[in-house]
Amino acid sequence: MSDGFSISKDLVAASATPIVLAILSRGESYGYEIMRTVREASDDRMNWTDGMLYPVLHRLEAAGSLTSRWRTADTGRRRKYYRITDTGRAQLHELRQQWEVVHEAMLRIGGDG
Amino acid sequence: MTFDIESEIRKWRDLLRTGTSLGAGDIEELESHLRDSVDDLSERGISREEAFLVSIRRLGATDTLADEFAKLSTERVWRQLLVPAESDAGRIRDRRELVVALALAVLAVVLGRLPLVFGSQFPDDAAVYFSNLPFFAFVPVGGYLWWKRSLPTRYLWTTGSVVALFAVLINVYPDHPPHDTRTLTGIHLPIAIWLTVGVLYAGPGWRRQDHRLDFVRFSGEVFIYSVLIALGGGVLMALAIEMFGTGGLEIEEFVTEWVLPSGMWATPVVAAYLVERKMGRIESIAPVLARMFSPLFLLLLLSLLVAILVTGNLPGDNREALISFDILLAIVLGLVLYTMAARDSADPPGWWDGLMLALLAAALVVDVIALAGILDRLTTFGVSPNKTAALGENLVLLINLSLLAWGYGRFLARKQSYRTLVAVQMRYLPVYALWAAFVALVFPLIFGFR
Repeated sequence: MSDGFSISKDLVAASATPIVLAILSRGESYGYEIMRTVREASDDRMNWTDGMLYPVLHRLEAAGSLTSRWRTADTGRRRKYYRITDTGRAQLHELRQQWEVVHEAMLRIGGDG
Repeated sequence: MTFDIESEIRKWRDLLRTGTSLGAGDIEELESHLRDSVDDLSERGISREEAFLVSIRRLGATDTLADEFAKLSTERVWRQLLVPAESDAGRIRDRRELVVALALAVLAVVLGRLPLVFGSQFPDDAAVYFSNLPFFAFVPVGGYLWWKRSLPTRYLWTTGSVVALFAVLINVYPDHPPHDTRTLTGIHLPIAIWLTVGVLYAGPGWRRQDHRLDFVRFSGEVFIYSVLIALGGGVLMALAIEMFGTGGLEIEEFVTEWVLPSGMWATPVVAAYLVERKMGRIESIAPVLARMFSPLFLLLLLSLLVAILVTGNLPGDNREALISFDILLAIVLGLVLYTMAARDSADPPGWWDGLMLALLAAALVVDVIALAGILDRLTTFGVSPNKTAALGENLVLLINLSLLAWGYGRFLARKQSYRTLVAVQMRYLPVYALWAAFVALVFPLIFGFR
């Protein structure tokens, strides 16, 4: 929004899994923090509906890419922390390669616009 | 009007709980997110009210949110192009849940036949089956909740070992006539075991007042579903006996000795599954019933008091009367609890709260009379397990009803919030578990297993 545009819904949807996995590959985190990281990293241009993050997290957990546990923060607030598994890392690795292929293809094709 | 964020969050949570199929864990996770978001935005200088509104909007509309959680991915926006198998994840989990519930129902039936291994036949040794009933019926419910909440295994270990300890002790205790302590154990054990199951219901949040209130609501709904299932099952069995009977086949023995008990043991876990799945959306029927019967029970209590005043007969004159008084008081407590579960804590005092106070006051007077009766019997006939248990029950109820009456009084006088009242009541709940466990386990020791 800073530059007057934001990422389209379809692209957001397609990139949700790799982004979540990438954030968690840096260390354990919880929903709100993941969301904030996405906002900051994309300069507020990736418009996620906050609540929609959780079905993604739960699905990844069900698929064995993540594990979760409840923890009480220093402030006393209870949060559900997610951690990436080896399966998740393998999945991230593959997704990242695929993104790179797409990105490279875009660059090579070039064109106008 | 000032903005009360706690009450807004509660309303929002209620909306999610009653209007959607989100589980307690999901809701807590979203709530934690919401609070983080509000704090974060407030730190940037936005008022809390505005921060709350922005945060809610960012979380998304509750119904779409709920759909997302329910289906866990069929919506096209979030369908992952790269992991197509997952689009069925939600449906698979639904199906798996049904399988788990049915498997646990079978487990209940198998557990219920466990005494056969130790040579106890049904119905000849009905007492053994009676005192072990909560193990057959509630343990599967615990297992189901543990699975449903995806709780860590240590929950299963801790609650499991508590229950196992109960099971071993109850069954190694000797038993002598007139079997008073065994009967008392049979009555109190279900309460202790059910409240232990409550820990699995609430999961990590079992200390929190709102989770306890959810468990109260859950218990009421499980009870109602169980009664409905029992009614249907009863009709089915009666019909079966009748139909086979006309064909010259006597199946009554088979039905009463095998089908009926098996159905009884398996009912709670099936009921728990139905409540959790919010089938048919009758989730608020417990509070509705509470509302319907509260005035009627007030009427009953008042006419009882009048009868006592007119005839001068104290209820302490016989034991049965004392027990029915205890039951009456327990029902009053249940009515107040379910009214509590249905009420929005943020609402100001109304005439209904006045009626609750009247109900509590009448119950208190009756309780004091019952207590006098018990003390009278204790001094005349000496100590017995039954009277001591009745006395204990009465004291536990008396303290509880007094706390509630006091709380309602202060609430009606606008000296405290409804939330405080609920918090006090929820904090009191474990007392019942402790007392029930005490009667079930320690009474037989004190009274020499008689």
